Amino acid sequence: MAIHQMLFASLLICLLFQISHGATKERLFSDLEKGALEVTAKPSRGGVLDAGIDKLSITWKLSSTATKEAEFTTIKVKLCYAPVSQVDRPWRKTENELFKDKSCPHKIITRPYDKSPQSFEYTLERDIPTGTYFVRAYAVDAKDHEVAFGQSTDEAKSTNLFSVQAISGRHKSLDIASVCFSVFSVLALLVFFVNEKRKAKLEQSK
Amino acid sequence: MAHRNEEEGSIGTSMHGVTAKEHVFSFSDQGEDAWSSHSVQSDDPTAKFALPVDSEHKAKVFKPFSFAKPHMRAFHLGWISFFTCFISTFAAAPLVPIIRDNLNLTKTDIGNAGVASVSGAIFSRLAMGAVCDLLGARYGTAFLLMLSAPAVFSMSFVADAGGYLSVRFMIGFCLATFVSCSYWTSVMFTGKIIGLVNGCAGGWGDMGGGVTQLLMPMVFHVIKVAGATPFTAWRIAFFVPGFLQVIMGILVLTLGQDLPDGNLSTLQKKGDVSKDKLTKVFWYALRNYRTYVLFILYGFSMGIEMTINNVISEYFFDRFQLKLHTAGMIAASFGMANFFARPIGGFASDMSARFFGMRGRLWTLWILQTSGGLFCVWLGRATSLPIAILAMMLFSFGVQAACGAIYGVVPFVSRRSLGIISGLTGAGGNFGSGVTQLAFFSSSRFHTADGLSLMGITSMIVTLLVAFIHFPQWGSMFLGPTSDGRKSKEEHYYAAEWTEEEKLKGLHEGSLKFAENSRSERGKKAAPDGTSTPLENENPADV
Repeated sequence: MAIHQMLFASLLICLLFQISHGATKERLFSDLEKGALEVTAKPSRGGVLDAGIDKLSITWKLSSTATKEAEFTTIKVKLCYAPVSQVDRPWRKTENELFKDKSCPHKIITRPYDKSPQSFEYTLERDIPTGTYFVRAYAVDAKDHEVAFGQSTDEAKSTNLFSVQAISGRHKSLDIASVCFSVFSVLALLVFFVNEKRKAKLEQSK
Repeated sequence: MAHRNEEEGSIGTSMHGVTAKEHVFSFSDQGEDAWSSHSVQSDDPTAKFALPVDSEHKAKVFKPFSFAKPHMRAFHLGWISFFTCFISTFAAAPLVPIIRDNLNLTKTDIGNAGVASVSGAIFSRLAMGAVCDLLGARYGTAFLLMLSAPAVFSMSFVADAGGYLSVRFMIGFCLATFVSCSYWTSVMFTGKIIGLVNGCAGGWGDMGGGVTQLLMPMVFHVIKVAGATPFTAWRIAFFVPGFLQVIMGILVLTLGQDLPDGNLSTLQKKGDVSKDKLTKVFWYALRNYRTYVLFILYGFSMGIEMTINNVISEYFFDRFQLKLHTAGMIAASFGMANFFARPIGGFASDMSARFFGMRGRLWTLWILQTSGGLFCVWLGRATSLPIAILAMMLFSFGVQAACGAIYGVVPFVSRRSLGIISGLTGAGGNFGSGVTQLAFFSSSRFHTADGLSLMGITSMIVTLLVAFIHFPQWGSMFLGPTSDGRKSKEEHYYAAEWTEEEKLKGLHEGSLKFAENSRSERGKKAAPDGTSTPLENENPADV
């Protein structure tokens, strides 16, 4: 019986956590102020950029149309997937509920809010996947809630996009080690097999 | 006299050895004590076994803490080999969130690779039964382990969706170790305890699918901390399952033994074991309709289990926004439940057989598999994490115990074609996994959660097929044994697999020995005053 009570209590506690957490769950992307920041992201060269090598020149400044400027404490700049990179990939889906949204998983830089125009030279990280991207900057208040944002592309996310090619992750040394161990495995098996056949023949001839 | 002792102690008999407090019969010269004297027909007076054995020299007790040659050693080598292969086959699953970014995979790519990972074994499991019949369980196991290790190592070469799919396909062939493992235990352990033994071997092997969900993220993390970038670290992580396979292959060859009396090649050359014709063995398996029923049933117990191994980590990661290793831990609990769930299924099968014979086994199977399906539906419906975990654990128990219960039935479907049928049933598991992944988890048509619920419903419907498994000598779920005096003998059923000329040559001796030992499947026939009577037809002169 004690076990039943404990299980029930722990279940109840977990449910309570869910409910209290729910208070922050309703923050929606559509509630944020659009275009509060003017963001540009300029690739270091044309064509497809290489992760780990190429850079982005990112600038952001307060837009003249912004109204919630008083609340801005921090600016979080993130790399986001363009719609074409979200097709058939539900783990990159855009959701209106901010905590569920997975379209901007890669952090670029976080800086305290400054009235003057800011810029940052970002080298694409080596764990950025292959895809098409844009840059978005969220303005966050003192409670760490997003209040506004600006992005380097238009609302339909169709202009000013850039493509990135990921690193392959392969290495020559890895390839060689792989071949060596594979050969060892097959050879060891053959040696055992042939040996045993020989022994069985010897037994039979006795 | 000794036989009567056996019956009176029979409720506990199947557990003999499990507590490890039992009397160990170490190498006694003539095996002349009360325990084994009844059954060891001293056609081989030099037989020396650590465990009590029956007329086929199969062990009558199961001692999981022992490594005694040849029975317990075969058991441990068998299940650990199978465990290792499960680790390799599902090693990619917990790392999919990293791999999908490295290789730019879509949901369709991931789904297809998942299907591929279990499809190879459909064919290798089919072939495995025959291979074991012909080459012995040791070489069957070692071939699989050591020839699929290169496929595991070759993950380091993979650059796109096509390569990923091919490598997962090739690794998947090694899941046929399931067949070699259950074949090995079926030749080493007697019918009364085979449900429990196969349940343990299968269950502990299947645990690999759970352990890998913990192991691979951990190895990946350690390699990342050591300085590798994520897209390289996951490739290096694959060397761990590869090494495990090679090591196990060598251990199987050096420490194992094919049959209670020796290795197959030695025995065959001595003339002790006759080689059977592959076509005949296959033919008798295909002629038996129960083979097909078991094929489909296993597809919706083991098949579902393998599908979950492939999708559950990603499901928890995405749906509940968990960290990679947290999702891995939850996914691991699913597979790890196998440690006790499948043996319990096998044990429940044996226990119900003790009272109700084969009918008990079939009902046990139906109950377990249907409840598994029910909880799978619940898992798909669950929107909060604690409920999802609860549903998943209940689901894992039901479906894994059902696997154990199916293999409590398999050894009795045929004696001549045991290997092939064991393999076909196992292949059915992979087939079911491929089909369910393709149907429910490979497109963006519906959410993974709905896929889970639909899979559960389908499973419950398919499990109704258990009602169609009928044995003339023992009956089925709803029908009793046939009243025909001749056909209701076990000997008739098993001898029917041999032609008259083969019987004249005495090739069916093994089947007759087995038939005698299988009389336990009649269950206890309770007398009107409630006391149980010993089994009828205990006439050794029949043999």
